[in-house]
Amino acid sequence: MNTEEQQLADVLHRVTPEPPRRVTVEQVAYRLVSESSGPRPGRGSRAGREPRPRRGGPGLSRAWAPALAAAAVVVIAGASAGVAVLASSHNSPSPSGGASASSSVSSAPVSSSPSGTQSPAQQTTPATAIVGGPWGAELIDRQAFTQGSLVSGDGSLYAYGTGTLDRIDPATGAIAATARYNPPLPNPPVIVGNTVWVVWSNSGGNVVLHGYNAQTLAPASSVLVPATGRVSASASNVLSSGPDGHLYVAAGVSVVVINPDNGQQIRRIYLTAGPANSVAVSPDGGTLYAGLAPASGGFKLLVYNLASDTVVDESALPDTDSAGNLVATSGGVWGTTGVGMSEWTWFAPGADLTRAVRIGEGAGAGFASLPSYSGGVVWVGGSHTLTCASPADGRILDTATLPTDHQVVEYFSSPAVVGGHAYSSYQDNAAQLSGLVRMTPPAACSGLNS
Amino acid sequence: MDTLTGVEHLAEPDGFRDFVEARSSALLRSGWLLTGDWPSAEDLVQTALAAAWPRWASLRRQDAPELYVRKIMVNTFLRWRQRRWNGEIATGRLPETQAYGDVFAQVDARQSLLAALDRLPARQRAVVVLRYFADQTESQTAEAMGCSVGAVKSHASKALARLRHAPGLAELMTGEVAS
Repeated sequence: MNTEEQQLADVLHRVTPEPPRRVTVEQVAYRLVSESSGPRPGRGSRAGREPRPRRGGPGLSRAWAPALAAAAVVVIAGASAGVAVLASSHNSPSPSGGASASSSVSSAPVSSSPSGTQSPAQQTTPATAIVGGPWGAELIDRQAFTQGSLVSGDGSLYAYGTGTLDRIDPATGAIAATARYNPPLPNPPVIVGNTVWVVWSNSGGNVVLHGYNAQTLAPASSVLVPATGRVSASASNVLSSGPDGHLYVAAGVSVVVINPDNGQQIRRIYLTAGPANSVAVSPDGGTLYAGLAPASGGFKLLVYNLASDTVVDESALPDTDSAGNLVATSGGVWGTTGVGMSEWTWFAPGADLTRAVRIGEGAGAGFASLPSYSGGVVWVGGSHTLTCASPADGRILDTATLPTDHQVVEYFSSPAVVGGHAYSSYQDNAAQLSGLVRMTPPAACSGLNS
Repeated sequence: MDTLTGVEHLAEPDGFRDFVEARSSALLRSGWLLTGDWPSAEDLVQTALAAAWPRWASLRRQDAPELYVRKIMVNTFLRWRQRRWNGEIATGRLPETQAYGDVFAQVDARQSLLAALDRLPARQRAVVVLRYFADQTESQTAEAMGCSVGAVKSHASKALARLRHAPGLAELMTGEVAS
């Protein structure tokens, strides 16, 4: 072997993980018997077990088949332990197979050292009132954040900066902690317990999630979710969480439910209609919403009952360039659609897209108008209006018209709420000004009347 | 001779259990490199072991059970790919479990490795796994794949050329990213 071949061999040995479990003689015997006597008993039909495609093997000679077929029942009984493992293997938690002690390296395409939590600069900016801004808007920090990335959790704000995931102190607007991160698609951070989850990569056959400590943004865990088929090419919000504390990940033509505590797959829900580009879970945890953007155009919304394991409804938006960014509330589903440079938010009562109504005035000039659900109401920002709406029925509770500066739009992202204030990512192109805005919304937007 | 059930027809061959216990981990890792996920890797290994079972005594006499099992694995993998079974839905795929320590790097490295291997045609991928992971000689690889040594060299050369430019893998190979 030459040097390059040796390097490849070294990588293969070093990076290939240990398997989560071993193959047993009993499993081999079970296969031997079942393949010689037709379809495996109960294969694909056991309660709680996901069906798997049958893959052929070399099989046995005809001379073996009758004897093995006759012995099948006895073998299964005799090798019950092995069969039990086989039967439950795809749903049972596996021991940590990925925690190899071998040294490993990061191959992240953008950030070569994702574990590098940076010490933030302690900076505060005197609050500056925004002339004509909504709800007493004042600029409290001049960091630029990615549109649609601002979320709140446990008294903090989180957003994507320039190549970073940032935790922001809402009192001062200062960056309290930061980690290197470049979002591969529109998907705000998802906070579960003391971990902030982000989509690290979403391409080809896998979705990779990274979790960071919610306080320090130190790396906490990482999960590689194999997709079923290829992931959607027009994805947004492929990562969501449910009230059960689980992560829901759109991974090709399936949605994978992950236990964030141990990274294990809890279930995989198959969507026969195509790859999911966005997911959301109802506040009661009973319903999964999956958005699909077929290559032929349009947008489809599937409503999946998690208890009965069935798709209970589906509807479509036929004329749209792009759609997604799903958010679920008690009264239905919110999402976005856009044509050309304009984008706006819709609300579908009962998750029925045929009844969808437009909320707010949307955004132009390349800005995004995305729904956010924070502080008990749904917010819709943009470059024309800032709106709060009822999560129960989509009714608009209050709307503020956004200022323009020399006929150039100013942008307010959909807010996140902390401590009675609504925070928004702000951009004024004419003044070349951007930053974090703090507002005091009217009582109608408090979530108490919705 | 132990039996699984007491039924003579399915008598467990001598040494079969020892082999499975000793080698299933290495075989599964090869299967993972070939297929990219654990359930398919298990399918592959179980298929190969089931094929080896009835021939076990003969294979032991030739002192070549592992070569035979790997041969079956590779040929089954190539047949799946040929029949476009790789396009089927591989279900029940387990996500990578959490890694602690350098928590992101391990998963990222695996992602890069699998993405790089996915760029290879099936036969090149099989050669890479047999030659550089299973440490088989060129002639053993040729025997397993039913081709000439020259073809193995050609596949290996082309595979290396592709992998050289695979995002992330080159850094892993040259160690430019800190281990």
